[in-house]
Amino acid sequence: MIELHGVTKIFNKGNTNEFLAVDDVSLTIDPLRITVLKGPSGSGKTTVLSIIGAMTKPTEGRVYIHGREITSLPERFLTEIRRKTFGFIFQQFNLIKGITALENVMIPSYPAGEKHSSLKDRAMRLLEVLNLSGKATSKIEWLSGGEAQRVAIARALINNPEVIIADEPTAHLDTRLSQEFIEAMAALKEKGKTVLIASHDPLIYSSPVVERVVELRDGRVVLEGSHQ
Amino acid sequence: MVWIEKQRNILDFALSSLLRRWGKNLALVIVYTLIVFILASIFFLSHSIKKEASIVLQGSPEVVVQRVIAGRHELILERYMDDIRKIPGVLAVKGRLWGYYFEPATGANYTVVVTDASREKAGSITIGAGVARVAGVQKEDTMPFKSSDGTYTTLEVADIFSHESELISSDLVEISEEDFRKLFSIPEGSFTDMTLRVRNKNELNVVADKIRRYLPDTRPILRDEILRTYEAIFDWRGGLLVVIFTGAILAFAIFAWDKASSLSFEEKREIGILKAVGWETSEVITMKSCEGIIISLSAFLLGVILAYIHVFFGSFFFFTFVLKGWSVLYPRFTLIPYVDPYQICALFFLTVAPYTAATIIPSWRAATIDPDSVMRL
Repeated sequence: MIELHGVTKIFNKGNTNEFLAVDDVSLTIDPLRITVLKGPSGSGKTTVLSIIGAMTKPTEGRVYIHGREITSLPERFLTEIRRKTFGFIFQQFNLIKGITALENVMIPSYPAGEKHSSLKDRAMRLLEVLNLSGKATSKIEWLSGGEAQRVAIARALINNPEVIIADEPTAHLDTRLSQEFIEAMAALKEKGKTVLIASHDPLIYSSPVVERVVELRDGRVVLEGSHQ
Repeated sequence: MVWIEKQRNILDFALSSLLRRWGKNLALVIVYTLIVFILASIFFLSHSIKKEASIVLQGSPEVVVQRVIAGRHELILERYMDDIRKIPGVLAVKGRLWGYYFEPATGANYTVVVTDASREKAGSITIGAGVARVAGVQKEDTMPFKSSDGTYTTLEVADIFSHESELISSDLVEISEEDFRKLFSIPEGSFTDMTLRVRNKNELNVVADKIRRYLPDTRPILRDEILRTYEAIFDWRGGLLVVIFTGAILAFAIFAWDKASSLSFEEKREIGILKAVGWETSEVITMKSCEGIIISLSAFLLGVILAYIHVFFGSFFFFTFVLKGWSVLYPRFTLIPYVDPYQICALFFLTVAPYTAATIIPSWRAATIDPDSVMRL
């Protein structure tokens, strides 16, 4: 279970370009469910995801993961949480160009010190599950949008995280690929993952597989609802 | 084991990163190698020349006595030898004959000397390789010399000095005493200067003082002074190269600064991705250091090896005209390889250390930002 208590995030605090991105948000993300943060651009969705995913610290407030307060932890511990607890799928996938799909999938596990051959085997199995084994040795820039998206999913899963965080994953995908994406997330939930998606795509937040929608506007939670 | 695997994985990724940007990295290695090559060539060359000169001069006399009139070098008379022999501690005194001969046809200056080996061999000469080249003569050919009275003396080339000693012997003509006196009209009983051997080396200064006192128109020159003069000459030659050296160091500083102050958008983005997917700042820095070390170490080794070949096997082709000065008689020689480990270490710390640091600084800057920023790229 992930809990946010009175979380506020101010960028460039004290400067003329100070900006309040998240304003006193309290939220609970239940495990083994698909939750969507919805809202227009600039509503604070990505910042909330970053704070939950231990990528940035809130200016005020506390974040708890399974009851453990993480906001006051030093950078090293946050990295470990990021590596072990979360798998990230970014808006533009953020895959590294010039290297193969297989290498991209393996990258998050490099610092773990796993034997290269066994890491490679695990990455190959993930690509097989996502029907990408034929593209394992292809460079990222040669892949289609859908293939790149599946590589990003495989990379998010390589460390076998409890929580998958996806930020506007369908922003650059057509309807069919967006549908495929949400189906893949549903499959992951069935396998025991918690899925947290930030999106303003109706195809995502209206999908029947989504169990909870949290609406944000101007950095505040304005509406919480459930499809079930 | 986990630690080793982790380092291996990071190194693998660093290598793959380098290969990904092979065009940029190849250009970096080429520029870097060129700078190391210039610096190492200068180091090797100046060190080797000084070393070679000091070895050659080890065999020179302990004290040389010259006669000086109105501040100018004058012929010294045989009776001076008798006076010097009387000084306690002096073992032997010998008169030397040497001078310079200008050959108008080639515009070259030869150094003409009478040695113990050539003293009695009237009619024949032994010449340096440079003289043989300029005059276009070989062993057993003859060479005409114009005497100071306007007549010509023809001498046979008995031998040519080996290439090993060409730095020193290139312009040398070894001649007999009789021919020397005839050529320059130097009367019997006069010499160019004198050399002496002293029993106790600690008393060289005392002997020199006595010579100055008994024979006020002479100037005794100690071997150590000559060695210092030669050192200064070669250092001065090295000094010319300091200009190149400074240029190379400056180029390196600009190059390192450029590297230190810039990281491409793509590189920054990659660092952000690595941090976001769970790499620690220290792991990103290790990876970037590996990249820097791979580039700088390869360039360093390549540069040093090329400089070694250039200086010791290629007769420092690129610096020929700087080093050989204005003489018509350019010496052609191969230096004996002397490499000073201290200089190699100095070069290593002058190049590899600043470059590696310059690679780490921008990476460290990029790696310490919130990985959150990558979500917004």
